[in-house]
Amino acid sequence: MSDIIFLLLIFFMVTTIFKMEEGLPIVLPRAKSGTQQERERLVHIWADRFNRISINDKLVRIKDIHIIIARKLEDNRSLIVAFNVDHRAKYRLVSNIMEELKDANAVNVSFTSIYQEEGP
Amino acid sequence: MIRKRARVSAEFNTSSMSDINFLLLIFFLVSTMFAVERGLPMALPGKGSRQVKLKRSTVFHIQAHANGTITTSDTGPIHLSEIKQLVENKLKINPKLVVVIETEPNADYGLMVHILDQLRLADAKRISLRTLNP
Repeated sequence: MSDIIFLLLIFFMVTTIFKMEEGLPIVLPRAKSGTQQERERLVHIWADRFNRISINDKLVRIKDIHIIIARKLEDNRSLIVAFNVDHRAKYRLVSNIMEELKDANAVNVSFTSIYQEEGP
Repeated sequence: MIRKRARVSAEFNTSSMSDINFLLLIFFLVSTMFAVERGLPMALPGKGSRQVKLKRSTVFHIQAHANGTITTSDTGPIHLSEIKQLVENKLKINPKLVVVIETEPNADYGLMVHILDQLRLADAKRISLRTLNP
């Protein structure tokens, strides 16, 4: 009995990942077609409905995004920029961020969503 | 008188060990969240990408408006739930169809994601994002 418990304990200890990155308090949009993204390739951009943008837990200005992302791209060309944006945020904000990404030549993006089974 | 030394047992009490194990197990069970990150992947045009000219007939426009309504170049106002069927039908006629999501800057980001979601469900491969001029 205690062997089994010990085994389970080890399993959960190893698989637990404590949430390191907090970002901003946001409500993600719901979507059905979301696919699992490779964690190692993701770099997260957080944006809330008050037009605040955060990368690596630091608030950043929109002008600085392309510098930050370009630096990250130097290390890893296959990065995917994950948009963790509040569903109530204005599209203007997302559009502006995408323009910045274009400058940094970051072409792979992913719109992070929560899985939803029922209709939209 | 020679006193006999008391024999000390070489084992220690392990009965509480399983309690501790169990406690830790419960803790990790509860705190584990299998990190699944779902997202809708998209490829943006890069810095040096050329503009591609397309035939008018192969492009299908969907507009997302600031007041939360959706219109298309074919049907006018449309409900979100009708998009999938419409695009599926259009893809049957023309598999090379390019769908352009045109979003007003003041529209909600969520609306655009919902449309993109519907297009992905309809298996549209060629999707483009555009911001409408206010």
